[in-house]
Amino acid sequence: MAKLPGGELSNRPLHFFWIADCSGSMFGEKIASLNYAIRDVIPSMREAAKANPNAQLLIRALKFSTGATWLTNKPINVEDYEWEDLEADGLTEMGKAFNLLADQLTMPPMPERALPPVLVLLSDGQPTDVYTPGLKRLKELPWGKKAVKVAISIGNDAILDMLEEFTGNRELVLNAKNSADLVNMIKWASTLAKQVSSPASKVSGEDPIIIDLNTIPKSSDDGEIW
Amino acid sequence: MAGSLKVGHEFTSEINKKYKVKKFLGSGGQGEVYEVTSGKEKYALKWYLPHVATSQQYEILEDLITKGAPDSSFLWPKDLIKDGKDFGYIMDLRPPEYLNMFELLKRRVEPSFRILCLIGFNIAKGFRELHSNGWCYRDISWGNLFINFNNGKVLICDNDNAVPNNSDLGNIGGTPRFMAPEIVLGKDKPSTNTDLFSLAILLFYLFNIHHPFEGKLEDKIHCLDPHAMKEIYGTNPVFIWDPNNKSNRPVPGYQQNAIDFWELYPQFFKDIFTHAFTEGLHNPQKRSTEGQWQSTCLKLLNSIIYCNNEKCGVENFYDQKLIKIGVGCTCWNCQRIIPSPSILLINNDLIVLSKETNITQHHANNDFNIDNIIGKVVQNPNNPNQWGIKNLSSEIWTFIKPGGQSILVDPGKYFPLIKGSIINFGINKAKIY
Repeated sequence: MAKLPGGELSNRPLHFFWIADCSGSMFGEKIASLNYAIRDVIPSMREAAKANPNAQLLIRALKFSTGATWLTNKPINVEDYEWEDLEADGLTEMGKAFNLLADQLTMPPMPERALPPVLVLLSDGQPTDVYTPGLKRLKELPWGKKAVKVAISIGNDAILDMLEEFTGNRELVLNAKNSADLVNMIKWASTLAKQVSSPASKVSGEDPIIIDLNTIPKSSDDGEIW
Repeated sequence: MAGSLKVGHEFTSEINKKYKVKKFLGSGGQGEVYEVTSGKEKYALKWYLPHVATSQQYEILEDLITKGAPDSSFLWPKDLIKDGKDFGYIMDLRPPEYLNMFELLKRRVEPSFRILCLIGFNIAKGFRELHSNGWCYRDISWGNLFINFNNGKVLICDNDNAVPNNSDLGNIGGTPRFMAPEIVLGKDKPSTNTDLFSLAILLFYLFNIHHPFEGKLEDKIHCLDPHAMKEIYGTNPVFIWDPNNKSNRPVPGYQQNAIDFWELYPQFFKDIFTHAFTEGLHNPQKRSTEGQWQSTCLKLLNSIIYCNNEKCGVENFYDQKLIKIGVGCTCWNCQRIIPSPSILLINNDLIVLSKETNITQHHANNDFNIDNIIGKVVQNPNNPNQWGIKNLSSEIWTFIKPGGQSILVDPGKYFPLIKGSIINFGINKAKIY
């Protein structure tokens, strides 16, 4: 019998989206590293969620190549979430991905009350479709505006400006120059759920409640082309 | 997940002690924590992230190590390790029976109210010790302490943030949801007064499993982002039970804990929170102090009354103010009326006498010493219907019957719970009601 009344601390859902480029240019080491890195961070996300009474972490993944598809129909509670390996083939129809995202960030299906959604976009190339209408639609939605948007460029300096259009902030465009960078950056991105919902101690004088930019991993400078 | 230090790496500390990295334990906003060994002894090593490893932080640690821990409820820095520009410090490992407070907030542990009172008392006691030594902690939150939910003891960690009060040292401003409004708004720097605010938030979480400002105003916000958090905890904080401002009452269902817990507590317990989050909200000099919290937690502990329904038996609270106006105590769980208990009145503080009641040195001397138990409520071995108090102290007590007859109670002996009688503990006298 319960010794105390009530239940656990009231919390809000936190919707976390992995948005993965599966175009042909990702074939080989890139998609393998992406699969490895995301699979590797899921247990840590689960542990962090167990220790975080402020949020109910829900994960979903969206892949795009020739067309865009959700990997699961619904958001999955992190405790039950498992990463399904992606394969690379086809074009880079990022605009279609933005449209699918926008459909899900509309209210409903988004709830009335939540924490800022986290969108992590991983790509290695310029979109091959007209992406701007989808991106505009996404960014005009209230939940799209409020979402924390991070992009990881996989071995391609040329797409940094385009990815900045998505994040709205150059500091949140990370440039992975090799697979070690990609693993570190995905690891960091996975900590955004905790940073957004249950922020850690803050340094005096800084805006008290923001993402800790100090912890963003820097890309290595070993000159390796990937 | 691995940390930045390699397992097996060896360091020599500033006092020439050798440590070996055994395993990565976790990471936070300031750095990583590892288990390390020195010979057969195990310790924890906190290793700072480069942007936190400043020369000022190093000097703060040197000072903390020189002065030593205020008492045993702190996982205090013990030794320093340097590696080029990077550094970290050694502290004791957290014993496994000490858990994070989120275990309670997630309801994975189910302590009794009695244990919650002891936890609250011990948290306030720890920060009182720290503050009385001239330190300001700067970052009181549920992430910085560990709790033994079996006995209510606490261990306060992350003491590397502590600096002399009112100094310009240190760079930590606090944890969102715990920071005083003047810190959230950047109008002031952390001090013992802002610590008192964070302490009140922490204690509210402990006793209500809810945040004191999360009511209707939080419910109507769609997206709880940094701007919304700044509004709720900084620009426009409104206590959910503010008697003069009903705009932020908790929302049934979504914020049900706030409602369920609050209605159980006696008025004096509600009063200290109301004071902390109304008068004390914008007036740092008027915040509830650690000593007031200690007294109040003990008073709450002494108010516990058990439901006498055999199928229920949960803890409730005896509210003298309600009893005086003729309102009986109804069990929150089974809704039955609980008969009035025997009460010991010491000065103006009452102790509800039940099977779990201990009389401590604090009851006799008002010194906050609750570890020294001087008396215990027991059944008469020859007559189980008769209850009494056993003298566990080394002093002889005087028991005065209602008719005026005086009896000496030697150590190890009992006196019966007879209404109207008086017991003289030494400094304090108590009357049985």
